[in-house]
Amino acid sequence: MPDLTERRSNLAPWWGLLLALGAIGCNVVLFVGASAQSAMPLLSLVFAMVAIVFLVIGLKRAFGLPQIYRGKVLSVVLTVVALLPVALTAFAFVVSRKLPTSTAAPQVGQKVPDFSLADTSGKAVTLDQLLSASSGTPAHKAVLLIFYRGYW
Amino acid sequence: MEKRLAEFKAAGIQPVAISVDAPGVSLNLANKSGYTFPILSDPDAAVIRQYHLLHPAGAPDAHDIARPAEFLVDSSKIVRWTNFTEDIRVRARADEMLAAARQLR
Repeated sequence: MPDLTERRSNLAPWWGLLLALGAIGCNVVLFVGASAQSAMPLLSLVFAMVAIVFLVIGLKRAFGLPQIYRGKVLSVVLTVVALLPVALTAFAFVVSRKLPTSTAAPQVGQKVPDFSLADTSGKAVTLDQLLSASSGTPAHKAVLLIFYRGYW
Repeated sequence: MEKRLAEFKAAGIQPVAISVDAPGVSLNLANKSGYTFPILSDPDAAVIRQYHLLHPAGAPDAHDIARPAEFLVDSSKIVRWTNFTEDIRVRARADEMLAAARQLR
């Protein structure tokens, strides 16, 4: 008879959960303004994918090698819990990158269209006004047009 | 952005933000965040369309909005530097924009 007291604990699902939470944790770099923020989307996806690998290993051990590993129920529970952050990460990755390529937008060397738009007080402001001298300050060398999504 | 505003001013650069938000919404944003640079309102996305930056139904309520983009435009209205993010979570960094600004003569 095999000695059942020698069964090992199955740490893989725990690693899977930790990595899945790490995938969500990657988002903090967006808020601290770290220079690594451009690497964040891919990094979080890698965390999520490695998490899945560990979860699969955990389940395979628990159900495929029950004579060696303990924790069938626990591995299922941890997998279900970890799948939520994994799914969130994958969803955020797809949604955040669903952007038009805007290849027709002004490129370096091209002239931009003029515009007249209302500022926060409702007063119309033109590109010419933005480029010209304002009270007390010399004319601006350039303007930095920052188009943003709004709806904050 | 606002923290580095003095550096932009020193480089002779006027930052200008543009979105579909109404002036009142932008005023709230400016007050809440302490922004002092102009924030312009393009509620019908007319200028956003002119610049080919429309993100159709991009807003949470499926309104048309702008895709994030930055342009450094010199006094002849010529584009000198651009940035088009591929991921809305990754925003243009102030130091990148300042570096581009300082290369202008």
